[in-house]
Amino acid sequence: MRNIVLPATRAAVAELKLGEMVTVSGPIVVTAGIPTHHRILDSIEQGQPTPIALEEAAFFHLGSYSRETEEGFEILYMNPTTSTRFNPLMPRIIRHFGLRCVGGKGGLDDECARALKDVGGVYLSFLGGGAPIISSAIRRIRQVAWDDFISHYRLVELEVEALGPLTVAIDARGNSLYRNLDDAAQARRAAILDRMAQQRPGQ
Amino acid sequence: MTIRDQHITQAAKDLYSWALRRVPDDTKAALARAREAETNETARKTLNMMLHSASAAETADRYVCSDAGIPVFFVRIGSQADWTANIKSAIRAGFDELVETIDPPLLKHVTNPLTLERGYHGKDMPIVTFDLIEDADYIEIICSPKALGSGRWAAMELFTFPTLETIETYILDVAIKAGSQHCPPVVMGVGIGGTFDYCAKMAKEATLREIGQKHPEKMVADMEQRLYEAVNALGYGPMGTGGDTTVLGVHVNYAAGHGFTPVAVAFNCWINRRSIARIYGDGRIERVE
Repeated sequence: MRNIVLPATRAAVAELKLGEMVTVSGPIVVTAGIPTHHRILDSIEQGQPTPIALEEAAFFHLGSYSRETEEGFEILYMNPTTSTRFNPLMPRIIRHFGLRCVGGKGGLDDECARALKDVGGVYLSFLGGGAPIISSAIRRIRQVAWDDFISHYRLVELEVEALGPLTVAIDARGNSLYRNLDDAAQARRAAILDRMAQQRPGQ
Repeated sequence: MTIRDQHITQAAKDLYSWALRRVPDDTKAALARAREAETNETARKTLNMMLHSASAAETADRYVCSDAGIPVFFVRIGSQADWTANIKSAIRAGFDELVETIDPPLLKHVTNPLTLERGYHGKDMPIVTFDLIEDADYIEIICSPKALGSGRWAAMELFTFPTLETIETYILDVAIKAGSQHCPPVVMGVGIGGTFDYCAKMAKEATLREIGQKHPEKMVADMEQRLYEAVNALGYGPMGTGGDTTVLGVHVNYAAGHGFTPVAVAFNCWINRRSIARIYGDGRIERVE
């Protein structure tokens, strides 16, 4: 299994194949909040930098429990959240920052896949319900920003080691497992309904 | 002795904590069976990670998922149970106590639907519903923490004098709409008939049924099998990245109704959170699951 060292080069990400499983190591930025995405978009709008740099970053839809201790912030656990609810907000964020890796669970829509293609980025699918595995990859917390938000809405930068395995679900050419699977399911629907009709008792 | 507030409070607190840390045995067994049967390599690896995550959470006594959901309790009171308790407020006290003491702390998921503010408390929280069990001498409480991940894909439609074909097509289309997004493989609960509210309750209760347990009526059991094969033939697979396993089980409950026939579908994600306890008159709390 390939390990992607972050920050990843465009060339390294371009090699990733749809359905391939990888791990990632290095700095990542995480959040699970819609208000956080709006605040990122506000920063873009106002020409202000985000408190944590997102240029060519790995930006993941992960919810984490962070709390402040005397030694700074600590993260107690972390796990993916559904990415599709950020569909309308992600294309601009992907294009503006040239995000190299995005991820979470459940995927992103076609417009987001086009944005990823434009900047040569990929979407990585995390294991939902994988808190013990995912949290064990955290090595240290680099920054916690926007701590006026509740814990999982904050913008958090972490250092991870061999985070994953993660499945490449949208590649850098805009090919999407989610699009392919939806198309395949729609294509199979009629045959599946026919088979059910044959199995069903006569009415 | 009689069942008092403090017994209910203790049970509610324990049930919630248990549900967050342990994937039920039937679910682990179903995931292991799916791993053997899968023909897709990524899907096999994903199922393997799921089983690994479940066992890691259990061993380390940590949460399987970071999203603790919102507290939902089903209380079933035995007709012979000896109790003198304010059950609803005792459950609320149990959840409040849990939030203050649980380690690690929970994220704030209880959401005011009008302002979208999130916290640990909210109107009508925890959600508690009641039923009776004839001749039992205990109070049974089922805890089913529920989150957006699989919760948001539940759906309901009202038909008039539908054929089985109409009903089954609708259920398949609900599965297609959920697609990759509800942390599959899921348990699908279906309610057919009754009234609007009763149908939704049947679908939810069907998700709580043990995986592998068929409906006692052959006609319904056959329908469950048909839908199970149909949804798995869609190909969404574990975590919706492709494979043969999109559902671990389809459970159908039905009730007689009028000619308007509600059909409701509810999902539980692969961790299939549920915990069950019985409380007896001597204050003993028996963990059933």
